[in-house]
Amino acid sequence: MRLTALDEVAEAIGLKKSQGVAEARAMCPRLEVMEEDLAADRRLLDGIADWCDRYTPLVALDGRDGLFLDITGSSHLFGGEQALLKDILLRLFQMGIDARGAISSAPGLSWAASRFGSGGVIAEEDMELVLAPLPVASLRLEEQTVASLQKLGLKQVGDLIMAPRAPLARRFGAKLLLRLDQALGRDEEPVSPRRPVASLSAERRLIEPVQAEEDILYLTGQIALSLKTSLEERGAGGRAFELMLFRVDGRVFRIAAGVSQPLRDPKRIAGLFSERLQAVHDDLDAGYGFEILRLNVMRYEAFDTPQEDFDGARQKDVSLAGFVDRVSARLGADCLQSFQLCESHVPERAVAANPAIHAFTPGKKPAAGVFPWSRSERPLRLFRRPELVEVSLAEVPEGPPQSFHWRRVTHRVSRSQGPERLAMEWWVDGADAQSRDYFRIEDDTGHRFWLYREGLYGQLPSPRWFMHGIFA
Amino acid sequence: MVQTPMTRERLFALREEISRLEGSSIVAARQEALDGESGYAKQREIHRVPLGIAALDHAMEGGLALNGMTEIRSQLMRDATAATGFALALAALLQRMPDEDRSPVLWISDAVTSMETGIPYALGLADFGVKPERFLHAAPRRLEEALWLAETAVESGAFSVSILEVKGNPAHFGLTESRRLSLRAKMAGRPLLLLRQSGEEEASSAPFRFLVEPAPATSRFLPDRSMLGGSIGNPVFRLTLEKSRNPAPVSLLLEWNPHDRQFLPAREPDHARSARKLPAHSGPRLPAPVNRPDRPQEVGSVLALERAS
Repeated sequence: MRLTALDEVAEAIGLKKSQGVAEARAMCPRLEVMEEDLAADRRLLDGIADWCDRYTPLVALDGRDGLFLDITGSSHLFGGEQALLKDILLRLFQMGIDARGAISSAPGLSWAASRFGSGGVIAEEDMELVLAPLPVASLRLEEQTVASLQKLGLKQVGDLIMAPRAPLARRFGAKLLLRLDQALGRDEEPVSPRRPVASLSAERRLIEPVQAEEDILYLTGQIALSLKTSLEERGAGGRAFELMLFRVDGRVFRIAAGVSQPLRDPKRIAGLFSERLQAVHDDLDAGYGFEILRLNVMRYEAFDTPQEDFDGARQKDVSLAGFVDRVSARLGADCLQSFQLCESHVPERAVAANPAIHAFTPGKKPAAGVFPWSRSERPLRLFRRPELVEVSLAEVPEGPPQSFHWRRVTHRVSRSQGPERLAMEWWVDGADAQSRDYFRIEDDTGHRFWLYREGLYGQLPSPRWFMHGIFA
Repeated sequence: MVQTPMTRERLFALREEISRLEGSSIVAARQEALDGESGYAKQREIHRVPLGIAALDHAMEGGLALNGMTEIRSQLMRDATAATGFALALAALLQRMPDEDRSPVLWISDAVTSMETGIPYALGLADFGVKPERFLHAAPRRLEEALWLAETAVESGAFSVSILEVKGNPAHFGLTESRRLSLRAKMAGRPLLLLRQSGEEEASSAPFRFLVEPAPATSRFLPDRSMLGGSIGNPVFRLTLEKSRNPAPVSLLLEWNPHDRQFLPAREPDHARSARKLPAHSGPRLPAPVNRPDRPQEVGSVLALERAS
């Protein structure tokens, strides 16, 4: 067991990372050792990253204990870079997190300055000056490279900047120079955000936190109103929305809602979240209230403004879209399904059920399914998976059963149609899948069933029979 | 008694008010006749869709109500598909109407019934006369969700018909809830079919209730209009109008023609009777298995009990 992290007191005693626990105990018998919980660390870092969304939507995780924030274009909202950094560090300190930070035009330099230097805001012209006295480990190099650099007496980054580049590259590979260039801002280093960036977003910062659902919905409507003009400028309407609620104590809730048609009407957007709030009611703990509300448009599409007509047909489409959106927001997208016909002759694969919010576009004429192949009539209700049926006597080789036993009731067959032989799809089921002989069967009480026999009598000793559907 | 024109006028207005509250169509027809003179009759919306069977249409005061709830019941779970078929046949009938052409059908399914008898199958729907591309299937997890869905659907007015499937007689779906749904349907002017699978007769606010049982199908026609013996043609339902303003329950056999999307009266088919005597397939009839129960036999005798509603 080795130490992986230390607090300030332990550092003051002189303990070091990657020291053995036994050795550390020998140095300080009263040492409290806690086992590392990587998952919990990760959750905390995720929570902080969520919280940092208030400064910029571009937040990236860096290893186990760092965050990159791309504050391009957002620092002026907080009164400049200096004020922004101070604000972040102060708030984190108040939450009990010891954080260090630096702002510079290169992620590599910020990393080095916050971990090895004094942090702060580094101006463009001071970059080399700040970087030069830092140890080579601040370049995010592998341990082996750092050790061999130190062996050669290249202890500070300044030594590397002075050294000729070609021999360095030859000896240590291109990575060293890449890291150096990235730290100096000579090479681009993209920061990949941990969440998809919203296409559009608007927010409200509140002095007095809100708790009540009506307040949240009212504010959502207000924010949606301010988004409306930007959507109109683009000639677009949102398809996927996300409401972010920043709680006072740093917790962030994200509530996503999708719609079936591009939408920009503030009332309907607020209505959408009213359904969502109903659905997540128990999970949303308002606590001491929410201080920031942000509405993101994650995806938008062209909004075609059709001309109103007098017969009210369009009104019907709008109300249908509204219904689909409300239901999907409240009960989940999978609750409401529309059926799509697929190109397959196997009955259970011929129809796919898709969430209506994606598949069902009201107003457009839906494509009618075309069945080029000839087939017999299909049952009105199909079982999710066929049920085994006991058949005591059937016509051999390929006739219908005379009677069958299903769900503890014996049915006597009075009429039957078939067989309709369906071979399974060899490109899906494999070459040795048994073909099915379907029969449409009516029993003497007038119930009509769809039975099939798996396999043929000649090939299998006793083929099994299945119930696959029921006719009206 | 001498009536002044004034009192007669008032009496007439009150009668009209009462019949409007009751939703009766007789006075509505008279009203229509009166309005006809002033040219209003054409603008009046159609509130009934005739089923095309004279006896049934007469008992239902003109056909299926477009602004209200109609209950369809099946006695046993194994009859569930027959009730499904009748409900979907009504849906197909409504979809056939020209002005309702683009509105879809909403099917709110019940989880247990879906497990027991399967979910509606798009190809089967197409064969039955319902357009699968205008069919939405909702699978709520709980009854409260299903009721909310039905209410929202009827309110939105976007569906030509909403079908709410319920299993049995759940305690949370009593007279209050049914009245609420019924009022919503009436206010929105949209039809709602309550499909009670394997349920008992229960007092509800639906003015009409059908009991659907399966019946042997018709035979297929050959090109020369003769019947093909032993073939399975159009589905037939044994329909009983259990609850209506008409005191005597109407019971009849109804054939659904999916191709023309119309109901036809079916008579008791000959082959159904002969089938009991003659097995369809030659060979010895096997005795019922001894190690397990055969189909449940009728126990006791049927008494002429009063209906619940």
